Amino acid sequence: MTRAPVPYLLLVLALGLAALYLFPLYWMYVTSLKGGSEIFASPPTFWPRDPDPSIYPETWARRDMSVYLWNSFVIGSGVTALTVLLGTGCAYVLARYRSAWIDVALFVILMLQVLPASVMITPIYVGFNQLGLLDYPRFAVILATAAKAMPFYIVLVRATFMNVPRELEEAALVDGNSRWGAFFFIVLPLARNGILVLAILTFMQAFGEYIYSKSIITTPAYQPASVGLSGFLGPNSTDWNGIMAYAAIYVTPIVAIFVLLQRRIVAGLTSGALK
Amino acid sequence: MRRILSSLTDGKGFDLLLVGITLIFLILLAGLPLVYNVLLSFQEVDMFNLAAFSRPWAGLDNYREIVSQPEFGLVMRNTGIFVFGSIAGQFAFGFALAIFFMAKFPFASTIRGLFLVSWVMPGLVVGAIWGWILAGDFGVLNAVLQGLGIIDETMFWKSDPALSIWAVTMANIWLGLAFNMMLLSVGLAAIPRDLYEAAELDGANGFQRFTTITVPMMRSTIGAVLALGLIYTLQQFDLFPAITEGGPANSSNVAQYWAWQWSFRIFDFAKGATVSVMMLAFVLIASAVYVWSTRAEVRG
Repeated sequence: MTRAPVPYLLLVLALGLAALYLFPLYWMYVTSLKGGSEIFASPPTFWPRDPDPSIYPETWARRDMSVYLWNSFVIGSGVTALTVLLGTGCAYVLARYRSAWIDVALFVILMLQVLPASVMITPIYVGFNQLGLLDYPRFAVILATAAKAMPFYIVLVRATFMNVPRELEEAALVDGNSRWGAFFFIVLPLARNGILVLAILTFMQAFGEYIYSKSIITTPAYQPASVGLSGFLGPNSTDWNGIMAYAAIYVTPIVAIFVLLQRRIVAGLTSGALK
Repeated sequence: MRRILSSLTDGKGFDLLLVGITLIFLILLAGLPLVYNVLLSFQEVDMFNLAAFSRPWAGLDNYREIVSQPEFGLVMRNTGIFVFGSIAGQFAFGFALAIFFMAKFPFASTIRGLFLVSWVMPGLVVGAIWGWILAGDFGVLNAVLQGLGIIDETMFWKSDPALSIWAVTMANIWLGLAFNMMLLSVGLAAIPRDLYEAAELDGANGFQRFTTITVPMMRSTIGAVLALGLIYTLQQFDLFPAITEGGPANSSNVAQYWAWQWSFRIFDFAKGATVSVMMLAFVLIASAVYVWSTRAEVRG
C-alpha cells in the first residue's frame, strides 16, 4: 500500500479527459490532411493514411484567404485599439473611487455586457444605414464590435487596477506629478501585464467576429475570414477537407497565442472579480 | 477657463473626462440602439422607408403577427431546449471537471487551462468542426457511437428534425463547458480547506461534504454561473449558421437566429426587432440575477 502512484493516476486521467475534450481540434487538423476519398471512408481513419498538406496552399489561393485574413486583422486591430483607448481610463477611474455614482456606472456597463449581438444588429444596421455609415463597412463593424467588447474589458481591467497600491500613486502626486503624469508613468506601467492580456483577448474575440460582419459588410473584398468560411459552409457541405484546412489556417494563430500565454490569460480571467 | 483646464489635469475633471467619453460611446452604440430596437418593433419598416426618419406606426401589429406565425411555437420550444440543455450540460460537466481538477496532481492547473482554448476559438470555426463531427453518413460521432454499440443505425444529427436542435446544443455544451469549469474552479478554490477536514473528522462522507459544504458555500458562484450561462446561451449565434442554418424546416431554429433571419433574410426589420425585444425580457431577468449574485465582488 503506497500512496505515491495516486497523483500520477490522476495525471493520466486528466490527460485523457483533456484529449477527449480537445478531440474536435485534433479532428480538424487530421481531416485537413486526408485525401478527398479518405474523408468519406467508413469507418473513419483516426490517422491519415498518407498525410497530404497540399490542400493548405490550394485552399489559401482558391478561397482568397489573404484578403479575408487581412480584413479580420484590420477589424481585430481596430476593435482592440478603440477598446483599449476608451476602456482603460474608464476602468481606472471606476477602480479608484467608491461612490453611488460609480455603482450606477458599473451597473450600466454590466447591463450593456449582456445584450446579445443578434438583438443589437437590427437597430445598429438600421441606424448606421440612416447615418450613412454603411458606406464604410469595416469601420462600422469596428464601432459595433468595440461597443460589444468594451464592457467585458472594462470590468476585468478594473480588477487589475484595484491591485495597484493607491499609495504609489499618492506618492507621485505629492512629488508634484499631475494626475495625468501619475496615471501614465506610475499606474499604467504597474497594470501593464493585465491590460496586455485583456487586449490580446479582445483581439482574439474580434478576430473571430461573425454576426456584425456578415450583416454589415456585403462587399467580399472587405469581409473577414469568418464570413469567408460561412460562404462554403452549411448543412449540405461536402468539401470537408477544404473547410477543415480553411478552419485550421484561421484558428492556428489564435490557438498558438493561447497556448503560449495560457497561464496569463487564465490568471487574467480568474483574478478579476467577475468574468 | 484656467480653472477648467487645471481641473482637467488635477481634479474631478480628469476623472469625468475619462469616464465620460467611454460612457457616451457606449450609450451611443449600445444604449441608443436598445431603445431604437423597441421603437422599431412598433413601426412598419420595409426596404423603401428603411433610410427614412419617419415611418408609419404599427402599434402591436408586429407582435400579433410574430405570435401567429406557424413556426412561433416551434422556435420557442427550440429556444427552451437549447437554453436549458446547454446550461444543464455545461454546468454539470463543468462542475464535475472543476471538482476533479481540485485534486492535487502534477500539471493540474496547466491541463485545466488548456480546456479554455474552446473559448477563444471563433464560433464559426467551432461550428464548422462540429458540423463535420455530426455529419450523418461520414461523421466521426456516429462511427464512435456505433463502434461502442450505443446506437445501431446511422443518426442524421443535422438533417433529422427530431435531432437537429440537440446537435447544436451538443456543440454549444462543448463550447461553454470550459468557461463554466473555470468560474466554478475559482469558487471552489475560495472554500477554506479546514471546513472539509473538520467535516471529515466528524464522519461526513464525500456526498455529505458536497451537499453541506460545497453547495452552500458556492451559492453565489452557482447563481452567477447559471445566470451567465443563460446570458451567453442567448448570445450564441455563430453555431446556427455553421451547423444547421436553423433547419430542416425550422426544427433547430431559435429566437436569436430567427430574429436575424427576419431582418437580414426577409428584410423585415420590424419583425426582427420584435423577436429581439421578446428575447430581451429573458436576458434582462438573467442579468438582474447575475448582477445581484456578484454585487459583493463587483464593488470590491
